[in-house]
Amino acid sequence: MLLRLELRDFRCFPFLRVEITPGAQFFVGPNAQGKTSILEAACVLLRLASPRAGSTLAPLVRWNAPSGGFALAGSYGGRELRFLYSPERKKLELDAVEQSRANEYLRLARLVYLGNSDLELVRGSGETRRRFLDFLGAQIEPLYRVNLRAYERALRSRNRLLKTAPDRRREIAAYDVPLVEAGTLLTSLRRSLVAELTPWAVGAQTAISAGDDPTLGLRYESGIRGDNNGGAEDFTAALHASRAEETRLRQTLVGPHRDDLCLTLADRAAAEFASEGQQRTVALALKLAQASLLEAVWKTPPLLLFDDIFGELDPARRNALLAALPAGAQQLITTTHLDWLDAPPAGPVWELTDESRLRLRFSGG
Amino acid sequence: MQRIDYPEPLQRLVFQLKRLPGIGPRSAERIALWLVGSAHATPGRNGQTAGARGRDLATAITETAEAVHPCPQCGFFTTAPLCAICEDDSRAGGPLCVVEQPTDILPLERTGVFRGRYHALGGRLAPLDHVSPEDLNIDGLLDRVRAGHAAEVILALGADVEGEATAQYLAGLLREFPHVRVTRIAQGLPAGGGLEAADELTLSRALTGRVRLT
Repeated sequence: MLLRLELRDFRCFPFLRVEITPGAQFFVGPNAQGKTSILEAACVLLRLASPRAGSTLAPLVRWNAPSGGFALAGSYGGRELRFLYSPERKKLELDAVEQSRANEYLRLARLVYLGNSDLELVRGSGETRRRFLDFLGAQIEPLYRVNLRAYERALRSRNRLLKTAPDRRREIAAYDVPLVEAGTLLTSLRRSLVAELTPWAVGAQTAISAGDDPTLGLRYESGIRGDNNGGAEDFTAALHASRAEETRLRQTLVGPHRDDLCLTLADRAAAEFASEGQQRTVALALKLAQASLLEAVWKTPPLLLFDDIFGELDPARRNALLAALPAGAQQLITTTHLDWLDAPPAGPVWELTDESRLRLRFSGG
Repeated sequence: MQRIDYPEPLQRLVFQLKRLPGIGPRSAERIALWLVGSAHATPGRNGQTAGARGRDLATAITETAEAVHPCPQCGFFTTAPLCAICEDDSRAGGPLCVVEQPTDILPLERTGVFRGRYHALGGRLAPLDHVSPEDLNIDGLLDRVRAGHAAEVILALGADVEGEATAQYLAGLLREFPHVRVTRIAQGLPAGGGLEAADELTLSRALTGRVRLT
């Protein structure tokens, strides 16, 4: 459970301290005051990754920050976490002890981020869905994250060579082995992740749509051409087969960086054939499935971050969503207004003022 | 008004110290002041004049810079034409152990297990850091293998992506010498440690590289 969150030079905040309670809490205020940044800070502190920014955290540093970096701190499950970031250096502390590896630190907390951009999971590119799988995978299997890093490094090295020195075949081939080793493991981790996720996603979609929508299907599509579940041999063969083409296009063309998670409704691609409402339901179902799977694996509900999504949902779906959430989960909810609530808020309501300060408007029921 | 700072030679010293690894501006200033002996010491105490500490260090640095150079054969540190390992004839018939940096040689040497010679590449292949084969001492390695004393080349490179790729690259080049056996050091658990201390990737590699008992 997250009980305190401190931001320094993060996004628009020079400094902000938030006291967090076990159940739900609401952050209200007009747009562009930093509501989302509070959720993002919780995500970065606990998972060292942002749901909004890409792989680098540099854009999260407050403009003109004197130190050139940001600092986040908080208390989770009785442990004190601290994450210092600057473009030159990252530092992790657990109970004031610096961690040389992120392993123990990342084992502490799990979370699910739900935002309006989730619709991209259905409509967007495969990259969005790969990132969804990676964010989940890293929270379930510690090996997932280290291995993903190794794969990305091997891939970037290989692509750099294909781009700058395509005729140096021996050098490029030297990266085939680390690429295949990490890529094969990544493929099998993602394949089993999708298999574990599917029943939860189907169940959540049925619950939210009250059984009205056609059946949801999830299918892992390997980026290794001719992948017959043969692991390293298939990947190696695919690399060999694509040699002429990759030399021409100057990038690695096969591998898990080309994976996709195909989403279907009654066996038809959800991105093309589903209505807007059905697509929103699929996106929500994927996030709910993430929460349920994390709870099933770790036996404790993950922290839930809702970024301005309740105001957008019709009452029926909102209630169905709330009913489908893991019980007892801690929730941080941002919203521009609270008019959508049918009952008094179930937790404290914080208002963000024009100067990006927090004011307690309601202390919770 | 004139801005007062340390005398110019002292500023130069602080500047040089700041370039050392792990030394920030504050530490650089403290070290410089200690060296010139005016931070805490009284000038002339213990029969030393101010700056004596600095002179000893300066002599050590100058002597080292003049006397120590990399061994032209393996890259290890030496004051002689060849290093002590390359001079040792009893190692001549042994395997050749390839490492990334000359500093990797001493840890291996301290194990007392290895009785061959070494070859430091001076780094590893890393296209993302702009290191290509020409930047490494690979030609020297091939010359030594071609000269043909070693029956085995052991690749003792890092266990990360770049280390693996460098090993693959060298293995490819060394296929030209069919009489030479090319091996790579094993990866696995640290000795004397339980499984719980190992990270997941190390454990998974230890599992892949398991050794048959019966």
